[in-house]
Amino acid sequence: MLTAEDNALVTKVGAGTPMGETIRRYWLPALLTRELPEPDCAPVRLRLLGEDLIGFRDTNGDIGILEENCPHRLASLFLGRNEESGLRCVYHGWKFDVNGNCVDQMNEPIDFKDKVKAKAYPTYEAGDVIWVYMGPADKIPPVPSFEYTRVPETHRGVTKVWQECNWLQALEGGIDSSHAPILHRQIREGASSAGIQLSTPFVRGGAPTIEVDITDYGYRYTGVRQLGEKEQYVRGYHFAMPFTQLRPSQIGRAGSPDRAHVDGHHWVPIDDDNCMVWNWTYSFNDQPLSEKERTGEGSANGWPNVDPDNQYRAKGNVRNDWLIDRDVQRTDTFTGIDGINAQDRGVQESMGTVVDRTREHLGPADGAIIAARKLLIEAARAVAEGDDPRGAHTTSYYNTRAIEKVFDGSLAWRDVMLPEMYPEEQPEPAG
Amino acid sequence: MLNAQDNQLVSQTGPGTPMGELMRRYWIPALLSWEVAEPDGTPVRVKLLGEELITFKDTDGKIGLIDNYCPHRRASLFFGRNEECGLRCVYHGWKFDVDGNCVDMPSEPAESNFKDKVKVLAYPCMDMGGVVWTYMGTLENQPPPPMFEWTQVVETHRAVNKVLQESNWLQGLEGGVDSVHASYLHNNDITNTTRYESRSAAPSIEVEPTDYGYAYGSVRHLSKEEGNFVRAYQFIMPFTQLRPDDRRESGASPKVAGHMWVPIDDENHFVWNFVYSLGDEPLTDADKAKHSDLAYEVIDINNGFRCIWNADNDYGIDREVQRTQTFTGILADARVGANLQDRGIQESMGTIVDRTREHLATTDRAIIATRRMLQEAANVVGDGGTPRGTGPSYYKVRSIQRVLPVDVPWQEGMKELLFEGAEYSPIMQ
Repeated sequence: MLTAEDNALVTKVGAGTPMGETIRRYWLPALLTRELPEPDCAPVRLRLLGEDLIGFRDTNGDIGILEENCPHRLASLFLGRNEESGLRCVYHGWKFDVNGNCVDQMNEPIDFKDKVKAKAYPTYEAGDVIWVYMGPADKIPPVPSFEYTRVPETHRGVTKVWQECNWLQALEGGIDSSHAPILHRQIREGASSAGIQLSTPFVRGGAPTIEVDITDYGYRYTGVRQLGEKEQYVRGYHFAMPFTQLRPSQIGRAGSPDRAHVDGHHWVPIDDDNCMVWNWTYSFNDQPLSEKERTGEGSANGWPNVDPDNQYRAKGNVRNDWLIDRDVQRTDTFTGIDGINAQDRGVQESMGTVVDRTREHLGPADGAIIAARKLLIEAARAVAEGDDPRGAHTTSYYNTRAIEKVFDGSLAWRDVMLPEMYPEEQPEPAG
Repeated sequence: MLNAQDNQLVSQTGPGTPMGELMRRYWIPALLSWEVAEPDGTPVRVKLLGEELITFKDTDGKIGLIDNYCPHRRASLFFGRNEECGLRCVYHGWKFDVDGNCVDMPSEPAESNFKDKVKVLAYPCMDMGGVVWTYMGTLENQPPPPMFEWTQVVETHRAVNKVLQESNWLQGLEGGVDSVHASYLHNNDITNTTRYESRSAAPSIEVEPTDYGYAYGSVRHLSKEEGNFVRAYQFIMPFTQLRPDDRRESGASPKVAGHMWVPIDDENHFVWNFVYSLGDEPLTDADKAKHSDLAYEVIDINNGFRCIWNADNDYGIDREVQRTQTFTGILADARVGANLQDRGIQESMGTIVDRTREHLATTDRAIIATRRMLQEAANVVGDGGTPRGTGPSYYKVRSIQRVLPVDVPWQEGMKELLFEGAEYSPIMQ
C-alpha cells in the first residue's frame, strides 16, 4: 500500500516531477533500429516521459531525436524533409542537424540561425535499439549495455508493444514472480492455448518464497519453490534501475529441451497513462534463436500480435476484453486470453490507468514489488537532493544473467546460483 | 428551479454523497436474473451508484456481488475463474466467496495466514421477481426484502426488462412522475381528439405523501355527467414508480406497470420496466412487449442494453411522421412503447439537466414533491435517522385508474384500491 502522495510520486514522469527527473538520469530505449532503417528515411514520431519527439537518421547514418515542434512557429517536424544531413521543416524551410543546431533558414534574408536551437537529446544505438538520454548533459551515464545488446543479431530478438496504463503497474507485474504459474497456467495437459504447463516445476512448486538482495544497479531476486522433499526450484532474476528486468528461460517448456536463454523487459513511460513494453530475448551459448523466438510469435507481444502501423498497439486490448474466450478459460487455460504477455497486459490494464495503491493489500509474495518501490522512491529523493540515483553510473549490470535451476533442497541458493547470475568477465561494449 | 448546490445534491450518488448514502439504505435492482443464471457461469460487470462491481453465481447457486478490483493488486475480477464455490482472480489465484471472504491464496506460502486478514467488498444479494437485488449500505440498516407485489406474483403474470439511459437518474425519474407530458409527448395520433388525455390536456395534479413516498392522482375533468378521469400513481422511495397499465383499452384484467430508475453513475442509469396482472389470465405477448425480453429486438443486450435508437441517430426521428401523425415523430411501437420518446426527450436535456435554468409550473407538482422528499430523506440520513420507505408498507400498494363522479375525491373513492389491496387478488407464487 502507498499513500496517495507516494502513489503520485512513483507514477508521474513528466518534466519536473521527481520520478520524471529520476528516469531522465538513465539511458532509455526510444526506438527500434528497424523504425529508422536507413539514412534519410522518413522521420518517426515518438513520445517519451510525456514529451513529443521526432526521430530521424541523417545522410551519414547518425540519429537525431528532437523535440517534435519546430522552434520557429511550432509546426511538427514529422512533416519534415530528411535530406542532406538534417531535418528540414516544411513550413518555412528551417533545417536542423542531429544535435539540434539550426543549419539553414530559407525564409530569412539575414539569417539568425546561430541563435536558434531545437531541443535535441543524445542517442546511442545498440542491440537493435536506439537509446536516448534526456537528462542534464553533465550527468550522462556510461552507454547502456546488457548482454542481449552484445550478442550477435542471430542470437537476439527485440519487440515492443504499447500498453495502456501507467509504466509502474506494468513493471510491478513483470517483477512479480508469484503470479506467473497462476495467471499463465494451462489447466490441462495438451491445452490448445499457450501457457505454463502443469508438469513444470514452476507450477508444481506452488507458492514461492521471494528473496531480494539489493545491489548497486538495483537488485537481484529469487523465487524459491520447494519441489517435494528433496529438491528446490529457484528462479533468479535481476532488476536494473529504473525499469529493466532480466528473467531466466533455460528450462524447456512444452516438451522442448533446455536452452541457454534469458528474457527481459524494459517498461518505458510514454506518459503517465501509457507505457511501451519492450520485450527481448537472447541466447548466451552458440545456439542462435529460431525465427519464431526472434519475432516473439506466440508470446502475444511479438510481431503477429501488434500493429507497427498503429504505434505498436496490441490487437487484443481493453476495447475487446483482450479477446478473452470463456470456453478456453473453462477447459484449457487459467485466463482464456491467448498469449502470456496478453494475459499480463490484460490484468494490468484492468486495474485502471493508474492503479489506486491506497487500496491494495500486499503480502510476503509481493516482496520484489515492495523492494522496487522503495528503490524508486529512494532514487527520486536522491535526485531531488542533488545526488546520483542508484544504478545511473554503474556498469555492474553489464555482467548480469538471469538463471533458473532445480537442485538439492539442502543447498543455499546463493552458493549455487550467484556464479552463474554473474558470469565471468564480459567483453566491453562498443562505442 | 434548484440552486446549483441542490442540483448537485439530488443528482450525485457516488459513495459519500448525501444522495448516494440515501440510496444505499434501500434494496437496489442490480441485474436481471438471467444475466447470472448459471452456476459457475461467466462473471458479469455491474456498475451501480458509481461503484464498479462483478457478479457471479457460485457452484451452489449463490449470487455474489463484489468489488471489480481484487484487493491484492487490484486486477479486475471480470477475468476471474468462477469455480468451486468462489471467484478466483486469474492474476495470483486469490479466491473469494460470495460473502467476500478470501478462501484461497495460492501465491502465498502455505504457512501464511494472510488470507484470513483480507476481504473483498461484497454486497448481499437476493434473487426475486426475475431480478437480482442488492443492498449496498451498512448491515445494521438493512431493510426488509423489496417485496413489491409485482415480484410476488407467478412468473406468467409478470414481466421485467431494462434499458440504458444516458442521463442522470433523476431526470429519468422526473420524467416518469410527470403525468402531464403524456398528452403531448406521447400523443401518437394527433388527429384523434377523443382520448381522455387529449380532451383534458391540463390535468390537476394532487400529491398525497405517505410513509413510503407518495400517491399522486392526475385528475382530468371530462364533463359533469361523465365525471373525472383519475389516474392514480405511486412513488416509492427512492426511485420506483407504479402506474396503471396504459393498455386499458384492451379490456383484459387490469394491470399495473412501473419503472425503477437506478443510477449506474452520475451520467447514466438503467430504466427498469415491469408489468404485472391483477387478474387471473397470464400476460399475453402484447401485455408484456416493452416490459420484457421481446424488447431485446431493439435493445442491444450485447451493448450494455443500449437501444438501437439513441442519441447517435436522433432516436430515429421521422420528420414526416412528426408532421402528419405523431407529436414527436419518434417511434412508439409495441417494443418500445412511449419509452423511446421519454428517453429521447430526457437525454436531450443534457447529461445532468441544469435545474438552475428551468421554469416549473403548477402541473410539475409531483416533480417538486419528489425533489423535496429526496432532499428531506438525504437530510434524515445525514442526521443519522431512518428515511421514508425503508419499511414494508409499500408491499400492498397498487396503481389504478378510474372514472369517478365529480364530487368524489380520489383520495377517498380509491383508498382501498390503492393502499389496501382491495378488489383484485392476483395469483401469487
